[in-house]
Amino acid sequence: MAESPLNVLLKGNTGRNTRGLLRIIILGTIAAAAVSSRLFSVIRFESIIHEFDPWFNFRATKYLVQHGFYSFWDWFDDRTWHPLGRVTGGTLYPGLMVTSGVIYHILRFLTIPVDIRNICVLLAPGFSGLTALAMYFLTCEMSTSPSAGLLAAAFMGIVPGYISRSVAGSYDNEAIAIFLLVFTFFLWIKAVKNGSIMWGALTALFYGYMVSAWGGYVFITNLIPLHVFVLLCMGRYSSRIYISYTTWYALGTLASMQIPFVGFLPIRNSDHMSALGIFGLLQLVAFADFVRGFIPGKHFQRLLTTMIIVVFGAAFVGLVVLTVSGVIAPWSGRFYSLWDTGYAKIHIPIIASVSEHQPTAWPAFFFDLNFLIWLFPAGVYMCFRDLKDEHVFVIIYSVLASYFAGVMVRLMLTLTPIVCVAAALALSTILDTYVLATPGPNPKAKVVEDTSSEPLRSARKPDVGITSYLSKLVVTSSVVIYLLLFVAHCTWVTSNAYSSPSVVLASRMPDGSQHIIDDYREAYYWLRQNTPHNAKVMSWWDYGYQIGGMADRPTLVDNNTWNNTHIATVGKAMSSREEVSYPILRQHDVDYVLVVFGGLLGYSGDDINKFLWMVRIAEGIWPDEVKERDFFTARGEYRVDDQATPTMRNSLMYKMSYYNYHTMFQGGQAVDRVRGAKLPAEGPQLSTLEEAFTSENWIIRIYKVKDLDNLNRDHGNAVAFDRGHKRKRATKKKGPRVLRTE
Amino acid sequence: MMRWCLSFFLFGFLAVVNALSSSGNRLLVVLEDASEQSNYSTFWEDLKARGYDIAFESPKNDKLSLFELGERAYDHLLLLPPKSKGFGPSLSPKNIVDFLNKDGNVLLALSGKSTTPSAISSLLLELDLHLSTDRSSIVVDHFNYDTISAAEKHDVLLLQRPGQLRPDTKSYFDGEGVLALPRVAPHTLGDNILIAPILRAPATAYSYNPKEENAAIEDIAATGSQLALVSTLQTRSSSRFTLLGSVESLQDKWFTATVKAPGSGKETTTVNQEFAKQLTAWTFKETGVLKVGKIEHHLAQDEITAQDLNPTIYRVKNETVFSIEVSEYSYDKFVPFELPADDALQLEFTMLSPFHRLKLKPAYHTENSTVFRTQFTVPDQHGIFSFRVNYKRPFLTNIEEKHEVTVRHFAHNEFARSWKISGAWVWIAGLWSVIGGFMAFVAVWLYSEPTSAKVKKNQ
Repeated sequence: MAESPLNVLLKGNTGRNTRGLLRIIILGTIAAAAVSSRLFSVIRFESIIHEFDPWFNFRATKYLVQHGFYSFWDWFDDRTWHPLGRVTGGTLYPGLMVTSGVIYHILRFLTIPVDIRNICVLLAPGFSGLTALAMYFLTCEMSTSPSAGLLAAAFMGIVPGYISRSVAGSYDNEAIAIFLLVFTFFLWIKAVKNGSIMWGALTALFYGYMVSAWGGYVFITNLIPLHVFVLLCMGRYSSRIYISYTTWYALGTLASMQIPFVGFLPIRNSDHMSALGIFGLLQLVAFADFVRGFIPGKHFQRLLTTMIIVVFGAAFVGLVVLTVSGVIAPWSGRFYSLWDTGYAKIHIPIIASVSEHQPTAWPAFFFDLNFLIWLFPAGVYMCFRDLKDEHVFVIIYSVLASYFAGVMVRLMLTLTPIVCVAAALALSTILDTYVLATPGPNPKAKVVEDTSSEPLRSARKPDVGITSYLSKLVVTSSVVIYLLLFVAHCTWVTSNAYSSPSVVLASRMPDGSQHIIDDYREAYYWLRQNTPHNAKVMSWWDYGYQIGGMADRPTLVDNNTWNNTHIATVGKAMSSREEVSYPILRQHDVDYVLVVFGGLLGYSGDDINKFLWMVRIAEGIWPDEVKERDFFTARGEYRVDDQATPTMRNSLMYKMSYYNYHTMFQGGQAVDRVRGAKLPAEGPQLSTLEEAFTSENWIIRIYKVKDLDNLNRDHGNAVAFDRGHKRKRATKKKGPRVLRTE
Repeated sequence: MMRWCLSFFLFGFLAVVNALSSSGNRLLVVLEDASEQSNYSTFWEDLKARGYDIAFESPKNDKLSLFELGERAYDHLLLLPPKSKGFGPSLSPKNIVDFLNKDGNVLLALSGKSTTPSAISSLLLELDLHLSTDRSSIVVDHFNYDTISAAEKHDVLLLQRPGQLRPDTKSYFDGEGVLALPRVAPHTLGDNILIAPILRAPATAYSYNPKEENAAIEDIAATGSQLALVSTLQTRSSSRFTLLGSVESLQDKWFTATVKAPGSGKETTTVNQEFAKQLTAWTFKETGVLKVGKIEHHLAQDEITAQDLNPTIYRVKNETVFSIEVSEYSYDKFVPFELPADDALQLEFTMLSPFHRLKLKPAYHTENSTVFRTQFTVPDQHGIFSFRVNYKRPFLTNIEEKHEVTVRHFAHNEFARSWKISGAWVWIAGLWSVIGGFMAFVAVWLYSEPTSAKVKKNQ
C-alpha cells in the first residue's frame, strides 16, 4: 500500500486534525481494499458458498432466520447423522449464524431486502475490514510510531494468510473469529495498560463473543493467562494486572459457559485449567503482596517459599486426582496432536485425515506471509528492546503461534495477526528512522532508544547515514518496492490460490479461456430433484455438509465428525465386500450412495485417494474385519489396476468408482488419469447397488441401493438370473440334508 | 358421448361386481392342448362363477405376452403342464419371475404323467423349490392310496385336507373330507423363508420313477413328509406362487370321483372341488389378504385434534399412542382381522435396533377392520426412530409399515426449574448467601467510608 510513505511524508507538516482525517481516510481505504480483494471469487465464479463447512453454517443460518432464535437454540437436526441425528443447537458455535441473522434482520428493518445468502457470502470480507481496523488499534498500543498502526492494518487487510479463510463465500467461523481475536487482544492490552475494570469487562465481553464464534477461543484462554504468568515471573505484578485479569476471567468464564457447546468445559477441561490456575495464583500473589506490607523481609521470604511449595503441591495433587478420577476431562486428541505431530496419525486417524491438520510445509510461510515473514523476527526483536507489558504479550504470542503454525496448516491463521503487528513495528521503525530523520530534528525517543540498546547497535545502520539523501532514497525506495511486491504477491495469491469455491472447479481450455466444471452441483441438484425428500444418502463425511446444503437430503455422516464409530461404519461399508456392506446399508436405511471419482478428469481429490483413510478409520473400530494391509500389494503398493489386491477389487468403493468405467474406452484401454493406472479390461460387477446417476465428467457417481430380492434370492444370483445365466442345481451338497420341519 | 360414458360406467360397475379377487380378475390359463380344456370344465365354471375373466391361450401362440407396454396384461396366471419342452419364449422363467415381481399371481400345476420340462425346473429352482433329478418321479404310498382307481400302482394318494401349518398361522385349506391326488409330481422345499407348504406327503410315501425299472434306492432325494405335494411361495411384495403337484386332481373326473382308502375305509366322494376353490382363492388373492387402513400415532392425552395426529417429532420420554387398522379380505369383502390364537401383531420402535417391541392389542372393531393399539413411553434417546409393524406370516400378505419420526432432546425450557430439584437447594442457598453477603458488604462499605482516600488508592 502506497499510503504509508505518503502518510509519513505528510506528518509534521500538517496539523493534528488534518492528520486525523487523513488517518480515517487511509483506514477507510485499507478496509475497502481488504473487502475488494476478497471479491475475486464472486467475480470469477458467482456469489456462492464455498467448500464444506460453510455449507453447514449457511444451512444453520437459514434455519435460524426461518425459525427464530429459540428453535435454533434447541435445534435437533434429523437430516444429518441418520439415524442418530445431531443436537445441532447444542453442538455448534452460534456466533457466526447469529451475527448474520442480526445483520439480516437489521437490513430487513431498514427495508433493505437482502437475500440471506448474500449476507453469508459477504460476511467474511466485511469483517476483514473490521479486522484491519482492530489491527490498527492493537498495533497503536504497541508502538508510538504513527505509521505502525496503519502499516499493520494494511498488512492485515491483504495478507494471504488471512485471506485464505475470508474470501467472499468462505462463510466459516474464522470469518468473524479473527476480528474478535484481534479485538479481544487489543482490549486486553488496553486493560493491562490501564488496569481498568471497564476494559477488562470489555475484554470479557468480546471474549464471550469469540467463544460463541470459534473453537479457537482456547488460544485466547491460554494466551492471556500465559501473558500474566510471564509478567508475574518477571516480577511485574501490579494491581493493574490483578484487576484486568480477575475481571476478564470471572466475567469471561461466565460468558463462555453460556454457550451450550462449551457448557462446563471451562471448569472441567484440561485445556482451560491454565486460566483457572493463573486466577488462583494471582490471588496468592496478591495476598503475598498484601502480607509483605506487614512482615519484615526475611520472614516474608521464608513464608513465601513455604506458601509456594504448599500451594503448588496441593494444586498439582488436586489436578492429578481430579484428572484421574475423571472430573477434569483429559486433554483432547486435537491438543495432543499439537505437541506430537505423529500422535493423530496413530491414535486418531479421523483428525489426521483432514488436510488442514497436517504440519505446515515451509514454503507455505512465504506463500501466505511474503516479506512479512522476515520482518517478523525483526519486529519481535524491537519488542525486546522496549520490553513493556504489551511487548511481552507480542513476544509470547509470536513464540506460541509460530510453533502452532508449524504444526498445523490451519493455525497459520492465528499466526498471521501477530506477524502483521511485528512486521509493522519493524517496518515503521525503519521508515521512522530513515524518513523522519532528515526534515526536522531527531525525536528524543530515538536518542533514548539508541543508547539503551548499545550492544545490538552495530547491527543497525548508524545515525550518520540518515542525513544523506542517497541512503534515504535507497532505503525508502527499497521499502516501497518491497511493499509493492507484497501487494502484487497478495493479489496474485488471492486471485489464483484462495478464490476457488471448490464446489465449482475451474480449468483452462486449450485456447486459454476458462472452463467451469460443475459436477458437484449437477449431482447435488440431481439428488434434489429426483429422489424422495427423505432419501438417505451415504457418502464419505467430506461431502456431508454439501449434500445437506445443496441436495437437502439426509446424510449418514458429515464434516462435524462427532461420532467416530458412525464414520467408521461408513468406512467399513465402503471398504468391505458387497455381502458385508449390504446389511450395513440396509440397517442404516441408505437409499443412495455417493462417491467422488476423479479418474476420468484427473481430479486428485477423489474418494479412491481418500480411501485409505476410510480403511484406517474402519480398522480402528473393527481391526479384525478391515485391514489396511490387505489393500496393499505384496510389494506394499497401493494399486488400482489389474495388480490390485482382491480385497481392493472387491471393496464397494472400488466397484462403485470403476463400475462401467471401461465402457468409456475402446478395447480395454481404460485409464485412470489420477493414478496413472491402466485398468483391467473387465470392469467390476455390482449386484446390490445399481447405478443411478453419473455426472458429466464422472466426478460424482450416485448408486441406488437395491431392495431385498422379491423372491429372497441372493442379489448375485438374481443379477445372474436376469442376465440369463441358469442356476446350477445345488444337489451335491455335502453333509446331512437340511430338513424342513414346519 | 353420454352413451359412451354410461357404458363405461356400467362396464366398470360390472367389473367391480365380478372382481371378487382383491387384485383383479384377468386370468390367463395356459393350456397346450385345446382339447384338454373340456376335462376341466367344472373347474373353469367355478372360476367364472367367482368372477374371473378367463383367457385360454396356447403357449405356442406367438402373440401371447404376459405384459403389454411394460404393464401386466393379466392379473393371474394358471399354468397347466406342457407336453413339449416348455412354455416357449413368452413364458420363459424370466418372464414368469418378472410377472411375479410385478405382483401377478401364478398357479403352476405339474403332472406326474409326463416329464416336467427343464424350463419349469429352472424356474422352480429360482424359487428354491426342487424337483427330483429325473423330473418324472411320482409319489407312491402303499398305505394311503385309492383302492378303486389305483389298486395296482398305488399312485393315487388319499389325504385329509391340511390343517394349520403352525400354531401361529391361519388355515385357509382345512375342512372335512378326503382329497384324491392322482399321480403327483413331488417336490422338495429349499430353505427360502418365503416358501410355505400346503400339503405334504404322508410319512409312508416315497417318490418313484415308473419309467426307470431299477431305480437305486440310495438315490432317493426325499421321502415321507419331506416330499411336498402342494406348496406356495409368497414374494416380499405379496404376489403369490402356488405349485400343485397333480394337475389331474382339478379334472372333472376327480371332482366327483368316489374313492376308498385301503383297509376298512368306506367309499366317499372326494372334496377336490372344494380344495381347488380354496387353492385358487388363496393363490389369486381372495383370501389371506391383509389391508392396512389408518395408522395413527400421537401423544397420550385426552383430547386429540387433527393437528395432534401423526406428528413428525416427539420428545424423549413422551407418552405415545400408536394404532393401526387392519382388515382381511375374505372372498368378496373386507372383514375385521382376527389374529391367530398364538400370534401377536407387534410394534417396534426402532433406531438401528428396536428400543421397544410391544404387542398391539385389539382396541375396537369397525364394520370391516380391527384397530390395534398400544401405548408406550418414548425411550430416553434422541434420534430418528421409526414405528415399524412388520407382520409376515405364511399365507397372509405381508404388513411392512415403517413410519419415521424424530425424537428430539429436551429443549432448554423443558427442564425442571432449579428450585424444584431438592438437590439444588444447597447451591441455591450458597448463591444467594454470596449475593446477600456481597450486598451487605457493599452497604457496610458505603456506610463506613473512611475519611482519608489513602486506603482506596492502595486498592
